Amino acid sequence: MSETFEPEIIAFVCTYCTYAGADLAGTSRLKYAPNVRIIRLPCTGRISPMFILKALQKGADGVLISGCHPGDCHFTHGNYHARRRWMVFRALLDFIGIPPERIKYSWISAAEGVKFAEFINSVTEDIRKLGPFEQYTHLIEQTQAPASL
Amino acid sequence: MSIEEQYRTRAKELLSGGAVKMVIGYGKGSNAKRRRPIFISSADEVERLVLDDACITNLSGYLVSEGLLSDEKRVAVFLRPEGIRAINILAAESQLDAEQIVIFGFDVAGNEVTALKGINVEEFSDIIDSIKEGAPEAAEEELFEKIEKMSPQERFSFWQKEFAKCIKCYACRQACPMCYCRRCIVDSNQPQWVNTSSHTLGNFEWNIVRAFHLSGRCVECGNCDRACPVNIPLRLINHRMAEEVLGAFDHFAGTSKTQEPVLASFKKDDSETFIL
Repeated sequence: MSETFEPEIIAFVCTYCTYAGADLAGTSRLKYAPNVRIIRLPCTGRISPMFILKALQKGADGVLISGCHPGDCHFTHGNYHARRRWMVFRALLDFIGIPPERIKYSWISAAEGVKFAEFINSVTEDIRKLGPFEQYTHLIEQTQAPASL
Repeated sequence: MSIEEQYRTRAKELLSGGAVKMVIGYGKGSNAKRRRPIFISSADEVERLVLDDACITNLSGYLVSEGLLSDEKRVAVFLRPEGIRAINILAAESQLDAEQIVIFGFDVAGNEVTALKGINVEEFSDIIDSIKEGAPEAAEEELFEKIEKMSPQERFSFWQKEFAKCIKCYACRQACPMCYCRRCIVDSNQPQWVNTSSHTLGNFEWNIVRAFHLSGRCVECGNCDRACPVNIPLRLINHRMAEEVLGAFDHFAGTSKTQEPVLASFKKDDSETFIL
């Protein structure tokens, strides 16, 4: 088993900044890790914590969340609301035992194609080092059998 | 005159004068150590009211029962400080009009019951502020600190063991005065966010989302904890969340009826260290 572990990472990004940043990375012909599946949303304020849980439930090894820098939100303050929510949610996951390192947050603007590519690379590398989320995968496997009390 | 007698007299006056249409209080339970909520609407029944150190349930949740307050008549309710905070939150979230609530405030220390002075929710703000200053500890402080010191893997295993017991009866939700949504997220099935079977995975998700929705709103009355038939220490998670919002946003749930809900507001300089 010398094969390197290829993590599956789900990225929730806002369409006005980070998605445009990802586009820029593409049109600039920047190369970055292919492990990320991007899900585009209207705003970071639209990212419910349930999305993160759903991604983990479906077997994601890591989740990545990104949107406009504070002050740059297309809807003026969606990202401020999102920031508060993440602060609380992150503490909650930590207390429950879901390692906060598996869920990464960043602000990437439409002009930051390079930052986007670098961010994807560094997150992929970090999650690869952490390895598969075995404790969670074990729970997912259990759901294949009937629930027992 | 004991507090119980005092409050019975007050309830009688209010009911017979028509100042309130109902008194929600505690009555005898199935044994000497248990109290059950009673709903009194006539002055003859006030003798059924009991007030002692076994009165621990937070009764504020009954106030948001469908239709109870819609006739704009007033309702009296027996509340401990946590319950009074809950009224503030419900008022701040537009679930009730605080003017309609007549409070019979009391607190229990050891086995001694003391009356809290006041009728309207505003009159208790000093008491609530002093609770905030006192930085309340978790109900099971020792266990709480033990969990805090664990590694993430150990914590995961700890909660996995606890949540494996969960049977998804949602008693925690039903008992909580803050869980008033007509349609809870676990009841919606398009999409189905949380698995309905009682596999541990879905139990994790349910308990995470429950705690998240209570962040900055939970008053730590302990209703969920006591309602849980398999004794999951739910209060510890809620306490961790309360600590977080107090530390990060200086938010203590239920200090006033105009308090902004913490996750529905923001400051431009909210400071975090984890967003790259």
